[in-house]
Amino acid sequence: MMKFVTRRVLQAIPVLLGVTVVVYAILLAAPGGPEAKFAQNPRITQAQKDSFRKAWGLDQPIPIQYGRWMGILNPSGEGLGVLIGPAGLPNFLPTPLSGATNGVLHGDFGYSIDSGEPVSNRIIRAALPTFILAGTALVLWIVVAIVLGVYAAIHRYSLFDQGATVFAYVGYAMPTFWLGIMLIFAFSGPGLNILPAGGMTETRISPPFGSPEYWVYFGSNTPQALGDIAKHLVLPVITLVVVNIAGDSRFVRASMLESLGQDYVRTARAKGLPARTVNFKHALRNALLPVVTNIGLEIPFLFTGAIVTETIFSWPGIGKLTIDATRDFDYPILMGVLLVTSVMVVLANLLADILYGVIDPRIKY
Amino acid sequence: MTQNVEHQPPVPPAEITDTVPSAAEDYEVGLKSLNQWQLAWRKFRRHHLALIGLGVIATMIATAIVGPILMPFEFTTIPLPDEIVYAGRPPSLQHVMGETGGLQRDVFELVVNGARTSLLIGFSSMAIGVFIGTILGSVAGFVGGVVDNVLMRLVDIMLSLPILFVILVASRFFGNGSVGLVIIIFGAFSWMGTSRLVRSQFLSIREREFVEAARAVGVRDRRIIFRHILPNAFSPIVVAASLIVAGNIISEAFVSFLGFGVNPTSPTWGNILSNALTFIPLGNWWWPLFPGLAIILTVLAVNFIGDGLRDAFDPRSRA
Repeated sequence: MMKFVTRRVLQAIPVLLGVTVVVYAILLAAPGGPEAKFAQNPRITQAQKDSFRKAWGLDQPIPIQYGRWMGILNPSGEGLGVLIGPAGLPNFLPTPLSGATNGVLHGDFGYSIDSGEPVSNRIIRAALPTFILAGTALVLWIVVAIVLGVYAAIHRYSLFDQGATVFAYVGYAMPTFWLGIMLIFAFSGPGLNILPAGGMTETRISPPFGSPEYWVYFGSNTPQALGDIAKHLVLPVITLVVVNIAGDSRFVRASMLESLGQDYVRTARAKGLPARTVNFKHALRNALLPVVTNIGLEIPFLFTGAIVTETIFSWPGIGKLTIDATRDFDYPILMGVLLVTSVMVVLANLLADILYGVIDPRIKY
Repeated sequence: MTQNVEHQPPVPPAEITDTVPSAAEDYEVGLKSLNQWQLAWRKFRRHHLALIGLGVIATMIATAIVGPILMPFEFTTIPLPDEIVYAGRPPSLQHVMGETGGLQRDVFELVVNGARTSLLIGFSSMAIGVFIGTILGSVAGFVGGVVDNVLMRLVDIMLSLPILFVILVASRFFGNGSVGLVIIIFGAFSWMGTSRLVRSQFLSIREREFVEAARAVGVRDRRIIFRHILPNAFSPIVVAASLIVAGNIISEAFVSFLGFGVNPTSPTWGNILSNALTFIPLGNWWWPLFPGLAIILTVLAVNFIGDGLRDAFDPRSRA
């Protein structure tokens, strides 16, 4: 087991490195860049541009720029000394050892072009709303998907099962953002205006979510503030749940059907156990094994999955941050988001693999 | 597999003939033998939803080709100011899908014209993705060793990236609103699944006896790949292709919806939805409803066809 985990972790490292190279390459190839803002300004002389390039390290060869961005190279080093951090140890080691603070490896993703803030701050600030939205939706849809899938599997080919099948097909074909728009039309249009169309808080009453003033407001009026967020959560959560239940409920149903067909289930029935015990004790527990790994694979969703929904409902999370950054060519933010998301996908895959081995005793490594 | 050269109709399935069996027929029992495609078609026809899906897609494609000729969309043609009802008009007999707010476009006309761009992007990007995926997968599976390892790690890396983000960023940076570039970008990021699939097919087929036999007779590598392995790996590729089409139609709509895809002046299903968003307070639900239904219908149809193909090519399922 330990050997397997070590091997899987070692395999993940080149993939992670590759991800950083691809992310760097995509944004290197993109038009614009840090100097683009000077292109239209006639007062900037060539000498000023050159000194800007030197100050930002843009005069260096691309591999060196990449190494500095990653935090493998020390920007103030000379010659081979670039590999050594301020504390005399290799620069890529964690900050307490190497003394280095530059680069992705030390949590430095650069500064947003748009606001000048550190990218990590922007990402952390946007992560909370996304966790609230995606977390609520994830818990809800997993529960509903398991209930739907198990019920449909036990009552196979019943009216309910066929209804669930139709629902799954349509849900699978439905674009998330379209469902979002139609929900807004239905519940916040001029006809039936009962739910907010977007945002996370009622802006007329509360300060913007995440600001220091908001937490003061939150502290003094906790019930109202929570109710306010809950009201704003309804439509985006419905959107996410409906679209995502489709695939998962099918998955649960298939898994449950497979385990209902096993010999030990037939044995349990044959010896006269009540149907409830057989279904839930013998079949369901085994059917949930692949489901649990599937949930592991869905964890990165907490970070990325709501990108579409967040845009429609102007939810101030990672998705909206990304879309806004794309619109404004805010490279450092895009690189940060792409990188953090990819790392989460790799880690979730790793976790799912390991989890599968832990919960399924039949699997040996 | 290619015995039946005369292309006889696939029905009747297993008719027993009392004439002298020809080379095209099973020698001993006198059963008419069907080739792979006839068998697949016979099973596909049993799948009613897939047949309906095929009909829907055929209609959609026909509409996409003919429709814009019959009801051309001109961005610059706008109604006279006194004809405009700013909030748009709900569906009526003259305008079955209603008219949009703002410039008073006929929604049906928009949806028909959007079908051309959306389907073009969905199918062409799938073709590019499947082409790249098949080539890389074949190379990885056939050559093996270091090449295989490098290519598959590349696939791992690409699959770790949030592809929708990457497509979004790429179309914003390089797309310029042109349909061709959007197709290339979508194609360039939809090959990973196919390449894994083709590789695994190659790995198993490569070891089969008929490939060994071909090799023993001295058939060259290229001929082995294209003549002996690829045709046998064809069916899972077709199934995967149907899923790519469905996925790309939805993603394109999303990217255009955000305004990073095709130029907003030319109608695609995503662009129509995007324009509708600003008119929510006026409550003209018919504007986003119909392009959305068009997307759902298309994706449903493509998915059903994919299901049908999967069953049809599955040797374990019986017709």
